[in-house]
Amino acid sequence: MADSKRINKEDTGRLLDEWSKEFSVSVPSRENGMPAMLPWDGKDTSFLEWYRNTVIPPKANFFPPYEKMFDFQKGAEGYHLELPPSDKQKQLIFGIRPCDARALTILDTVFQDTYQDPYYLSRRANTVLVGLGCTNPYDSCFCTSLGISPGESTDVDLMFTDTGDGFFIEPVSDKGRELLAATGGLEDGLEADEARAKDVKEAAYRKITRRIDTGDIQQRLAACFENQDYWEKVAAKCVSCGICTFLCPTCYCFDINDELSQDEGTRFRSWDSCSFPIYTRMPMENPRQEKWRRVRQKVCHKYWFYPVNLDITACTGCGRCIRLCPVNWDITQTLNNLPASS
Amino acid sequence: MTTDVSQRFLARDNVYLPHIAVIEKIIDETPGVVTLHFNFKDEKLREEFTFKPGQFGEYSVFGIGEATFCISSSPTRRDHLEFAVQRVGKVTNALHRLDVGSEMGFRGPYGNGFPLDSFAGKNLVFVAGGIGLAPLRSLIWNVIDDRDKYEKIDIVYGARSPADLCFKYDLDAWGNDSSINMVTTVDKGDASWTGREGFVPQVLEQAAPSARNAVAIVCGPPIMIRFTFPVLEKLGFTPEQMFTTLEKRMKCGIGKCGRCNIGNLYVCRDGPVFSFAQIKGFISSEY
Amino acid sequence: MEQRLRSEVKALLEQGKIDRVIGFEPGSLKFTTTPLITSDGGDVDHLVINPFIVNNLSVYLTGTSGRVGIVAKGCDSRSIVSLIQDNKVLRENVVIIGIPCSGVIDLTKVERLAGKDRDELDDIVRQGDKITVTVGGERKEFPASEVLFDNCLGCEFPTPREYDILLDEPVTPTPDKAISEQKLDSLREMPPEQRWQFWKEEFSRCIRCYACRNVCPACFCERCFVEESEPQWVLPVPRWQDNLIFQVIRSIHVAGRCTDCGECERACPVNIPLRSLTREMCNLAEELFNYKVGIDKEAPPLFVAYELEEAEDLIR
Repeated sequence: MADSKRINKEDTGRLLDEWSKEFSVSVPSRENGMPAMLPWDGKDTSFLEWYRNTVIPPKANFFPPYEKMFDFQKGAEGYHLELPPSDKQKQLIFGIRPCDARALTILDTVFQDTYQDPYYLSRRANTVLVGLGCTNPYDSCFCTSLGISPGESTDVDLMFTDTGDGFFIEPVSDKGRELLAATGGLEDGLEADEARAKDVKEAAYRKITRRIDTGDIQQRLAACFENQDYWEKVAAKCVSCGICTFLCPTCYCFDINDELSQDEGTRFRSWDSCSFPIYTRMPMENPRQEKWRRVRQKVCHKYWFYPVNLDITACTGCGRCIRLCPVNWDITQTLNNLPASS
Repeated sequence: MTTDVSQRFLARDNVYLPHIAVIEKIIDETPGVVTLHFNFKDEKLREEFTFKPGQFGEYSVFGIGEATFCISSSPTRRDHLEFAVQRVGKVTNALHRLDVGSEMGFRGPYGNGFPLDSFAGKNLVFVAGGIGLAPLRSLIWNVIDDRDKYEKIDIVYGARSPADLCFKYDLDAWGNDSSINMVTTVDKGDASWTGREGFVPQVLEQAAPSARNAVAIVCGPPIMIRFTFPVLEKLGFTPEQMFTTLEKRMKCGIGKCGRCNIGNLYVCRDGPVFSFAQIKGFISSEY
Repeated sequence: MEQRLRSEVKALLEQGKIDRVIGFEPGSLKFTTTPLITSDGGDVDHLVINPFIVNNLSVYLTGTSGRVGIVAKGCDSRSIVSLIQDNKVLRENVVIIGIPCSGVIDLTKVERLAGKDRDELDDIVRQGDKITVTVGGERKEFPASEVLFDNCLGCEFPTPREYDILLDEPVTPTPDKAISEQKLDSLREMPPEQRWQFWKEEFSRCIRCYACRNVCPACFCERCFVEESEPQWVLPVPRWQDNLIFQVIRSIHVAGRCTDCGECERACPVNIPLRSLTREMCNLAEELFNYKVGIDKEAPPLFVAYELEEAEDLIR
């Protein structure tokens, strides 16, 4: 392949070093066993051994669990508002999985819809995504049902494929092509590497066995929307925590809150979840007080409302909501068991 | 970055950054409701700001938070802007504590507003309950200021008790306007009440405005809306002829934060004004 | 046990003694069970009992109407008793189907020992005090003490004391406080500054998903203090300070109700060692008030009663 490159695995640290000169580089890292995309410490490449995917999805690098929106201060002349200094530092995320990269493409749609979300979009514009194809997906993964191949991505700038001793590197976007051209010390990709990479990608694809039936899914959800018995049944064991939504790479709901001390303070935004009753609670009523309505909203939003509004399904099949759920609530079962429309 | 001089620019750059506005007048409407008159601190913005009846804003009390209210004044009366607040929670309590001269934040205008152009040449039936008159009031004054463009005007307005009637000065003005057929009702009167008694949907049914070449615009508590649509249908209004403006818990006001949807429709992004045809599929189960 | 469980539940449903049952069925992932809440006799054959029945099912009791049959391990049955003490559950509305429990397998420990994730393991088999893990055709044997949950290793009441049906012979308790409280001991030994730093780092990972609260049967408040807006005790912003305040208040709120079932720590997606807080609350309840949770359904809840001899002189 014309633009492709190759690198031996033991040179990964050197490559990250080089990129660190221009970028703030994040790699899969573990804090007390909990993997997330965190700033590289300049040494540790052990993630190449253990990394399958992160618990905290990379959306957090663009849309963090909480962030300051602005500060305010009351003075003699009235209120003075101040935005946080805009982060001009260029970021590079190394090792993002194809599902999570697709999730960012999905999030781009809502954060750009009509009004531009400056916090998310500025980080997005400043970031290079270096994808790493899966070789060992989890049993909870079902990305292939959402049109994603675990070894391939059109949503990254550069794509790495594990060929055993090294990586086969393919540019995906112009940004990636430029970065690759500017990166020294890489050998040109060989035909043998490309062939090996193709095998690896295909093998990864075959490893995904969990599936959902996406055919007519909007129609099937619409037909089932008023079926309270079904939603009550699937919602029964849900404990209404925020795990499946907070750790979903495509969930973007947020809350806005102020903090005040004397005459100054800060407005924050923070992750919020449709699983929480308070999320829709109004003084006089709550349209989703009952758990089955909230579970129905979560499922319908991802596979029906979001695609109707923004033309893309808000799920990547990353499987986090299944694997991290404390009661093993499984969205694939909910979708696959939808009663046939009568 | 200072905001004193570049407030407008910044606000445009970052949609979440409010404009600073100053409270100019406070009107006690009912024991729990006030109308606040305000103007932007930035003079240029004061001149350039435009909106449509039915649009809403996000109002900040800094340090307490933001809440959503429609602009209750008419775009045709641009001396100042108005919104009405019922005291129900943290932010509304804080808004009630503001004085004339206090500063607050405003983001907006957001939402679609009423399809005024499509109302031209039609008979207009306004049905409102309680503080639900606030968004319709913006539209009604707009229509009155452009009276020639519209045909007959019917207004049916009700509240739980005489003390709960909002905008009494408007009710008087419209009642005295011979080009308007105004009906005011209360669920239950008191000793001094000489007007009509009865729930809004029933009074509407008795008033029986014709559906011919008409549109009905409804706003009030959800229970009133739910009972009003069937009455309108009985009177011959089609779902396309009925409009309402909805209220949901909101944070961002611009289609990002998630919570205000009814089915695939977001009250902030696709509303708050909807025809009954748009929402009737979801109304029984989510509203 | 499993066969007996199914036949007992079938009979209870058929005789109309319960409206629904809360038990475990096989989960959708390897080595996983999932709560089954059903009134359908046809589902009864899905009920299972195995070393992976992690959940404390009593968390569902307050939200379930009618007369309920519930499968309960030792700790779960004490949670039910505690709910009865707090008047959240009526004794006559529950049929407790007790499982004498010899501990639940902590898959995180298995993963660490086997060097593989749970979905990469071929098999996990428990025989008495030995647990055999098969990975890639290779069998590795571990003593139960290395593989069970920390709280199980310190369990004093493995057999439910309050039950209607006991599915097997009682299990002899073999609590090993030293192993069970290893993490807690290391915290106790830290100087306060270091311990403060430790919790600061742990709570900086918290995302306030509230899984710890929502899986906890002792957290039965209809409106949690974190959701109050007037006054706002703590901001719903996951800064470490707010997270720490949330968790400290939660720990105090569940003191005298917590049965050390370990669900908060197991549910936490970001591995915060929450049990170190809740276990310490259990220890304090024992030390200060000689109170063990969920032992006596007639006793008043710990913080509802006080005695004149108590150490605290604030009330007098």
